[in-house]
Formats: sequence, structure tokens, C-alpha cells
Amino acid sequence: MTMLHFLFDRTKENRYLAVGTVLLAAIAALSLLLGQYPIDFHTFMAYLNYKIYGISDIEIDTLALIDNIILEIRLPRILLAILVGAALATSGAVFQAMFVNPLVSPGILGVLAGASFGAACGMLISEQWFIVQALAFSFGFVAVGFAVLIGSAGANSRSTVMLVLGGVISGSLFTSLLSVVKYVADPYSVLPAITYWLMGSLSIAQLDEILLVSIPILFSILGMSFMGKYFDLLSLGDEEAKSLGINVKLIRIVAIILATLASSLSVVMAGIIGWVGLIIPHIIRMAIGPSNRLLVPLSAIFGGAFLLLADAVSRLALSVEIPIGILTSLIGIPIFIMVLKNAREAWN
Amino acid sequence: MELKPIIEVKDLHFSYKKSQILCGVDLHLFKGEVVSLLGPNGCGKSTLIKLILKLLYGKGEILLHEKSIEEYSHKEIASHIAYIPQYHHVPFGYSVLEMVLMGRVSKLGIFASPSSHDHFIALEALKKAGILGLKDRIFGQLSGGQKQLVLFARAIAQEVDTFIMDEPVNGLDYGNQMRLLEFIDELSREGYTFLKTTHYPDHALLISSRTVVMNGGKIISDGKPGEVITAPMIQDVYGVNAEIITHDAHKRCIPIFR
Repeated sequence: MTMLHFLFDRTKENRYLAVGTVLLAAIAALSLLLGQYPIDFHTFMAYLNYKIYGISDIEIDTLALIDNIILEIRLPRILLAILVGAALATSGAVFQAMFVNPLVSPGILGVLAGASFGAACGMLISEQWFIVQALAFSFGFVAVGFAVLIGSAGANSRSTVMLVLGGVISGSLFTSLLSVVKYVADPYSVLPAITYWLMGSLSIAQLDEILLVSIPILFSILGMSFMGKYFDLLSLGDEEAKSLGINVKLIRIVAIILATLASSLSVVMAGIIGWVGLIIPHIIRMAIGPSNRLLVPLSAIFGGAFLLLADAVSRLALSVEIPIGILTSLIGIPIFIMVLKNAREAWN
Repeated sequence: MELKPIIEVKDLHFSYKKSQILCGVDLHLFKGEVVSLLGPNGCGKSTLIKLILKLLYGKGEILLHEKSIEEYSHKEIASHIAYIPQYHHVPFGYSVLEMVLMGRVSKLGIFASPSSHDHFIALEALKKAGILGLKDRIFGQLSGGQKQLVLFARAIAQEVDTFIMDEPVNGLDYGNQMRLLEFIDELSREGYTFLKTTHYPDHALLISSRTVVMNGGKIISDGKPGEVITAPMIQDVYGVNAEIITHDAHKRCIPIFR
């Protein structure tokens, strides 16, 4: 009898993950077909047939058009939305666990501002994509370090509010530094590029760039997903976590590096997309509880689904395309206000 | 005694911000003992416990099963000793079962999740602590006594035979204090070994097999509770006028006001 109960408990976790994955796949499939130029199911199957077997019953011109729309426009965008949403939400969940603080996220800790400063510097000095990424990650890391330094300056080093304040200060510092970069940037070429990219866009990146950056991002997300059980121990405080047998310092460092890497690279690929890292982990925690073993991977799945959905809405519902970063703020703020009311219960 | 001690502390010194907290502490803990560490606030009891658990680093020697604590990782220490802290606030609403499962983490591989065997151990531990019915409750919403029992269950789930506790009954009401002491007594009969700090001479008299009294960073006496806890000691260490009485062959410490 008791054995059966455990099996049920275990499958419950897997069921959440399975439902999330199916949902994500469904939204992705829909996004592939819907848009300014809708592709019906029959045409899509015919296209697949053509791609796989080289035979088709529709015109070659139409096929070329569909091929272009799917491979050049929609697929990169869908992959990027999932990747960026997953990176931000997972990093948010991990930062929250890491600092035992439900109010932090890559945005609030200043990581996004730091990474955007780094990336903008990179754009200023180099055309090399790798340098832009490396600088984004480095300054993302410096920004979170600075936030933690300010946050732990007070007497109570685990104060929730102090860390949030540290993040606000760090974020403002790097936003100001970013303004300096913008000020010295060439107003006809680099400045507009930086400005539009920072508003958050999923349409700039090319498929090969996306595939390249997906490797470190997926690596970080996977790594963080496996660390859930250690994050749970950190919420007990460092001494207790150590006494339960974990290497607290190592876990902190690895987790902060992975979360910073994932969120910084999201900035390089899609600009500053706020709120995803804060609200997604919150909503999931309210739904399934605080256990990070499940919270971290589910944040990845639902973060990806959320950003994909937000992007789909912006493409379908509006005739002008609003930058995705602005849209997530517009959606995220009311959701966060709603969540905030119930959130205290989930934390305590 | 021919037995080798589980824990052996030799000439341990520790200072924090230039003030000497421990100056030359020697301590042994043998299998099956319940040792109470008694002493006033700031005498170094908690520091000593943290040093033994490698949560702080001092000067001197600490041996766990005859091997220096330096050679152990936290994971390895957790497979010998369970630490039971005072119950406290835990952010995020973990369930009782999840809290107890945290005692299993040191036994899991890097990529592993708690298995059905780990769940089984956790539920057995809850049963032993008499709180199986609370398993799905939120830890933060429990009473102090219930929380302390959950931390006991977590220690039991660690499957070790030595427990170190820092003021386990602090903040509990009288009924819960007595039930917890009784529970410690029961566990010690099953062969578990305890090292605990306490503020109450009476609790040391009630359940310990040995009492160690600390004052000013030194151990001033170490022996059977009935022999160590005397009126002059209470006067000397706490500045309280007390009388030790014997009732049904049990000694009790009664404070006397002048």
C-alpha cells in the first residue's frame, strides 16, 4: 500500500514535467503555423512530405515561400523565444533559491543591466559575436557580485530587502554606464542598433547564431535543473545545509555562474526582457510548492512557453510589432501585482 | 573504558574577533552516551558544537572515529553525525515530508532524486517521531514542538547513530519540553548517542548519562550528572542559590530565593 503511494508521488513529478512539455510543444507547433501568413495543416504536412521524401502535391513557388517563412522567420524566432524564456525563468528560480529570497530575479539583481552594458561595450569595440557574449557574461557576473556586496553590507547579511536594494543600485549603475556607451556610440549605426536590441526583440537573431548560443544556455539550464535538491537545503541557512552534507560554497558559486551565464546570453540574443524571471517561478511555486527539484525544470518549460505565447500574441493580435521586452513588462507587472497578494503565503 | 570514543576533542582553542571563546577544551563522546553540555550564555557551548561539526575552524584536535575532522568532507560528516538545530523559520513553504527528505540529500548522487526507498526511510522516521500524520503539512505552519520533532525525524532519516543538538527544548512549552526529553531518552535506549547543550541543570539530571559543565571557555567539570550538578557548582556557574534534592532516587535541582 505504502509502496504504491510512493510510486504515485514520483509519477506526480513526472506528470507535471510531461504536461508542461506537451503544452510547450503545442504552443510551438501553433506558432509555427500561425502568423501574418497562416499555414494550414494540410499545406504543412505537404511541406514536411516534401522536405523528407522530396515529393509534394503543391506548387514549388508556394513551397519555397513556406520554406522561407518557416526556416528563416518562424523557427528561429520560436526557438529563441523558448530558449530566452527558459533561461530567464530558470535563472530567476535559481537566484531566488540561492539567496533564499523570493523577490530577486536576473532583472532585479542587475544581471540584465550588467550584461547589456557588457554586450553594448562589445558591440562598440568588436564585430565578433563571441566577444559580445563574453563581455555580457562578465559584466552580468560583476553586476550580481556588486549587488550581493551592497546587500551584505548591513548587519543582517540575509536581509531580503537589502539584497533587493543592492540589486537596484547595481542595476542603476550599469544602466548609467550603458547610457555612457550609447552617448559615445555612432548615432547613425551603432546607437540605433543598441537601442532597438535593448528593447528586446526575438526577430534579429539568425538560426545559426541561435543554435550556437543554445549550447551554453541549454547546458546551464540542465545543470541548474539537476541542482534542485541542493538549493532546497540552502533555504535552511548555510550552517544547517553544511551539516546535512553539502558543499555550500561550491554550490553557490556554480549556481550563480550558471544562472548568470544563461541570463546574460539571453540579453545578447534578445535584449532586456524583464519580469519573466520573477513571475514564472512565483506562479509555479504557488501551484506546486517550493521544492526546487521540480520548480527549476518547470520554470524552464513554462518560462519558454510564456515567452513564446507572449510573442505569438504580439505577432497575431497587433498590427504593429511591440518589442517583446516592453510586452513582457506590460503583461508581467499586473500578473506580479496579482501574485504578490498570495505570494506571502507561498514564502512563509 | 576500552571503547574508542566516537568524538574526541583535544586541547581545542577558538577565538573570534580577538576574544578567546574556547581555551583548551577536552571532550570525549562514547557510543550510547547522552552527554549534556551545561553552562551560562556565552561560555562556548554552541561554539564547541559548531567546531565538532566543522562549521567553524579552531586550533586543536577534533577526532571523529579516530580520524581528524579535517579529513572529512561535510558529506562524510553527515554520514556519521546528524545535527539537530533549534527549530527556526524556514522561508518558502516546504512540506514536512520534504523537510525530512532533506536529511537524505547527502546520500544521493549528484543527478539523483530521492527514490522510493528514501521516501520510505523518511516516512519511517516520521512514524518514529510520532508525527506521521503531519507529513503533508507546511513546516512553517507547525507549532514549535512539532517543528522540533520534524527536525528530529530529519536527523533519524540521515540514518546515523550520533545526534548533536543545540538547545533542543528552547522555546518549547513545558509539555513539549518533557515529551522531547522523553523521546531523547527512548532513542538513547535504542543505542543512539547524544551530545546536547542545555540551559537547564534539571534536564541534565533527568536524561543524561554524563554532564559536562563549561564556564568561560573551559570545561570545569565532567562526570555523572548527580556528582557534577551540585549546589556550589550552580552558585559558582550561574550565581543562583539552589538545593539539590533526592526524590525516588532521582536528583532534582531546586532554586531557592533569599
